[in-house]
Amino acid sequence: MRAEVVYHLARRDVVKFLRDRQSLVATLVRPLLWILAVGFGLRRAVGTGAIGVDFVSFLVPGVATMAVLFSSMFSAVSIVWDREFGFLKELLVAPVPRATLVFAKMISASVTALLEVSVVLLVSPLFGARIDPLGALLAIPVLVAFGMSVSALGITVASRMKTFEGFGGIVNFLIQPVFFFSGALYPLEGLPPALAAVVRLNPMSYAVDATRGLCVGVHHFPIPLDAGVVLAALALLGTLAVRSFSRMQA
Amino acid sequence: MNPSPAIEVRDLSKRFGDVEAVRGVSFSVKEGEIFGFLGPNGAGKTTTIKMLCTLLAPTSGALRLAGFDVTKSPEDVRRSIGVIFQDPSLDDRLTAEENLELHAVVYGVPRAERRARLDEALAFVELSERKKDLVRTFSGGMKRRLEIARGLVHRPRVLFLDEPTTGLDPQTRKATWEVLRGLRDRNGMTLFLTTHYMDEAENCDRIAVIDHGRIVAEDSPEALKRAVGKDVVFVRTNEPAALCAVLAERYGLTPDRTEEGLCFRVEDGEAFVVRLVSDVRVAVTGIAVRRPTLDDVFLALTGRQIRNGNGEAGRDTMRAMARRR
Repeated sequence: MRAEVVYHLARRDVVKFLRDRQSLVATLVRPLLWILAVGFGLRRAVGTGAIGVDFVSFLVPGVATMAVLFSSMFSAVSIVWDREFGFLKELLVAPVPRATLVFAKMISASVTALLEVSVVLLVSPLFGARIDPLGALLAIPVLVAFGMSVSALGITVASRMKTFEGFGGIVNFLIQPVFFFSGALYPLEGLPPALAAVVRLNPMSYAVDATRGLCVGVHHFPIPLDAGVVLAALALLGTLAVRSFSRMQA
Repeated sequence: MNPSPAIEVRDLSKRFGDVEAVRGVSFSVKEGEIFGFLGPNGAGKTTTIKMLCTLLAPTSGALRLAGFDVTKSPEDVRRSIGVIFQDPSLDDRLTAEENLELHAVVYGVPRAERRARLDEALAFVELSERKKDLVRTFSGGMKRRLEIARGLVHRPRVLFLDEPTTGLDPQTRKATWEVLRGLRDRNGMTLFLTTHYMDEAENCDRIAVIDHGRIVAEDSPEALKRAVGKDVVFVRTNEPAALCAVLAERYGLTPDRTEEGLCFRVEDGEAFVVRLVSDVRVAVTGIAVRRPTLDDVFLALTGRQIRNGNGEAGRDTMRAMARRR
């Protein structure tokens, strides 16, 4: 795999992301709305007893992980666009292994997701969140790995979808349960057993847990376990993405 | 310099479910040749090109390109070819230059040469001044030229062009052909193209006429036309029925009634016309003789007229209908 090829392929997506000013602003502002509305909306009712920290501080890592989920998943839509506008053929006929194309897409997805995460983490102290800066830096590799695995899932879906609407439908269907059953919005302690079981099966729960543990010091699982699950999901979904993408014909 | 042919295809077939899009096609293209696949839409042209470009796996048959087996070493093949697709394949949210640069990187053009290659390719298609502009601001013709430039950046041995001038205005088509001929003449590049434009096929060194997934003829445009042989004669008269009768009785001809008058085919049309005018008492108001065109070749080979997408469709269909009677 030639690093320069990956760099240029990924740069293409990032350049386009930055070039589209309106959607850039919307993407960067959306997570802040969550912190404002949900964070301050529930702060008083939740208190600090059950979660150990102020609710806004508790929520910020969850919202950061959510931003990675949404952003990485929808970044794969560019494959559907490329198919629609013909650029995919240019990529498929190029002397580059399919795995390189997939890897580059995963990189660009996590780079754009990281931009959003940075905004969330940098702005959140203004909302009174207490984030440990060193912990936040350590959380970044976890979020990158999580973003790559989500984009791999998106690539798998996009490789099998012929239309924009088809992709949107499937992705929305996938993204809602992954988000709501992840502990991004609530602590994992004391959940009803059925919900706890679902949450334990969801890789995002571990990404949220690690991020929260590193940023605000509250977590449910051991952080090495969190990291292990995220990496395992990345390996599995990455393999699936390469396989689906390679099977695709122009 | 290389004795092996640029493209060698033997018994190539492609089946999609019940549909046999390509049925046992064989041909070979020499280095530096302009080879055209001529046929109507749906004849199997694009399917063949996709198989040659490694985008589609053949159902059966052997494919060699620049000495490489297309199914066994697709990446070597991809490195040796450039493809200009029928439909646009540019990223229109990038600039012209960014499109070419990405292509150069992906095809492994050394960094030191990249700038020069990009500038050369852009100058070649006369887009140097627009290189910093987003492709979405380009006209259809400019996009086509940019795609051609992109296909040249990595200096492929074989350039594939699927319907290269479809949708272009006549001036742009002409300019595009000058570019393409220049490539062959200057760089000895091999060009493989598909077209359903007869006049475009005239630019090829050799043509394979393809219909229903089979090659029905393969030769130079001149030789194909010679094989059809006869000249086409149009005679205008106010008494077509009378003239028809005379032509049938004396010369054994069964003319077609067309917009341009009665139409029939004879050897040496000019000599025949001289004889006809002195022989016949029916008043003739106009006469035209023309050499056979590729249109006639296609008609003779397949019994059908190729559909021309360039505004002549109406006339051609009428003519075809008139001939079929």
